[in-house]
Amino acid sequence: ASQSAYKRFSELLPKEERENACSARVPKSQILTLPELRANPFQHRICHVFSTSETGDDSMSFEDFLDMLSVFSDSATSDIKSHYAFRIFDFDDDGILDRKDLEQLVNCLTGQGEESRLSSAEMEQLIQNILEESDIDKDGTINLSEFQHVVSRSPDFASSFKIVL
Amino acid sequence: GVPAACPKLYGVLPRPCHALVLLNPQSGSGRALDDFQAVVQPMLAEADIATTVFVTERPHHAHEKVRDEDLSQWDTLVVMSGDGLLFEVVNGLMERPDWKEAMKKPLCILPGGSGNALAASINYYAGYDHVAKKKLLTNCTFILCKGLYTQMDLVSLSTASGKRFFSFLGFGWGFISDVDIDSEKYRWLGSARFTLGTLQCLAKLRVYQGPPRQPGPLPPDSLLVPLGQPVPAHWTVVPEEEFVLVYAIYQSHLGTNLLMAPAARLHDGCIHLFYMKAGISRVTLLKLFLAMSRGTHLDLNCPHLCYVPVRAFRLEPRVAAGIMTVDGEALACEPVQGQVHARLCRDGRSGKEEHDCPPPMASLAHGEEPCI
Repeated sequence: ASQSAYKRFSELLPKEERENACSARVPKSQILTLPELRANPFQHRICHVFSTSETGDDSMSFEDFLDMLSVFSDSATSDIKSHYAFRIFDFDDDGILDRKDLEQLVNCLTGQGEESRLSSAEMEQLIQNILEESDIDKDGTINLSEFQHVVSRSPDFASSFKIVL
Repeated sequence: GVPAACPKLYGVLPRPCHALVLLNPQSGSGRALDDFQAVVQPMLAEADIATTVFVTERPHHAHEKVRDEDLSQWDTLVVMSGDGLLFEVVNGLMERPDWKEAMKKPLCILPGGSGNALAASINYYAGYDHVAKKKLLTNCTFILCKGLYTQMDLVSLSTASGKRFFSFLGFGWGFISDVDIDSEKYRWLGSARFTLGTLQCLAKLRVYQGPPRQPGPLPPDSLLVPLGQPVPAHWTVVPEEEFVLVYAIYQSHLGTNLLMAPAARLHDGCIHLFYMKAGISRVTLLKLFLAMSRGTHLDLNCPHLCYVPVRAFRLEPRVAAGIMTVDGEALACEPVQGQVHARLCRDGRSGKEEHDCPPPMASLAHGEEPCI
């Protein structure tokens, strides 16, 4: 498995850099050409969460790449997956899912076009529904434990939170 | 007050009244028994209704009890749980040799579980505001205390494998059914599981094939022919295409927050048939569900959503895929047909329905008309 991951990773690099793939970083734009990520509505967040780049350019090393594949693989537990899902949905990286994060989450899922957005009234209603169910301490936000509490018990969550090369 | 018209449509429970209460202790996040003792029992005592509680220990327990036991000492059977327990009771009663007499006994539902669509519907017919949880329980208990009951339509469903059920809420295939059943694994959440399940299913909009068929207006009795035979000539066959969901509902509410058929009534003799065609976008589906909390989903004029009131229907899936439910309970996926049996059952009412009902909706399907 790590053999084909290495191959996929090095193919994202320019030919001359492939020998040193172990120490190279692949720019985000290249990562996003992977067919598994190209159509994923959370592609940018995924790169961001798994990138260890200190310059904030969301580039990925081979180790970052392996981490990502590991979390999205069948062998990762539901807890691990839900932990990373939470980070992916936390658009402002503040450790909490607040209304703005939820709005962005819904917009990612429903598409970017004018026609495919919810009206602000519909968005408000949906966010209310989500908070009513998930916000156990009623503080208006969803923390990691509330998120895991609810989502990771879904029978389908683990199987849909998956990328296989 | 009590309307003078239609005196045959209702009866009144005797006082003092003896009620058998069938209760699933696990329903409603495990709070059903507590809620019964804290909320319901005091109200019933004031109304001179004595209760004997039968706590179920397993699935089918209630079904067997009402099927096999002498029920003559009870004036009414009260189910405190989700719709699933009432489904057991109705079908247990219908299996009795003396089912005709047994079905004259008034039944009552008190919302104790998740899946309280019938309680939400009765609350709606009574003209009460939309409420949930404890307020819904007290409203329904109040209706029981008043002791008025009327007749309720049931729908008889037959499957290709020879099963027959009597259903009071609805039959579904596809998307909504998936939500009913996928939710089972986190039933501890109570009614919250349905919305979560809806969001879940949105991520993977599946497509199911198989056209539903419905008969023309005012058909005679014995509306159905055996499943192996073609439907009667006067039936309408919906053009063959792919469906995301088919739902035949006979009450107003699919869930406490889902007013699916605002025009439905306890004995309108009508099955409200909805089907949703493939090609619907995720966001449109989400908008429809959000609108359904107010009953305005048909106003969105979505061309993928069709609605037609019928008295009978047949659904023949091309592939045994997807999940079917009746009254929220899982069914093997196979050809099914159903017809309404008007006023087969008796259920509670508030006494105000005739005066305070909301105006009926237009009953024509929006979008494309199935060819007549």
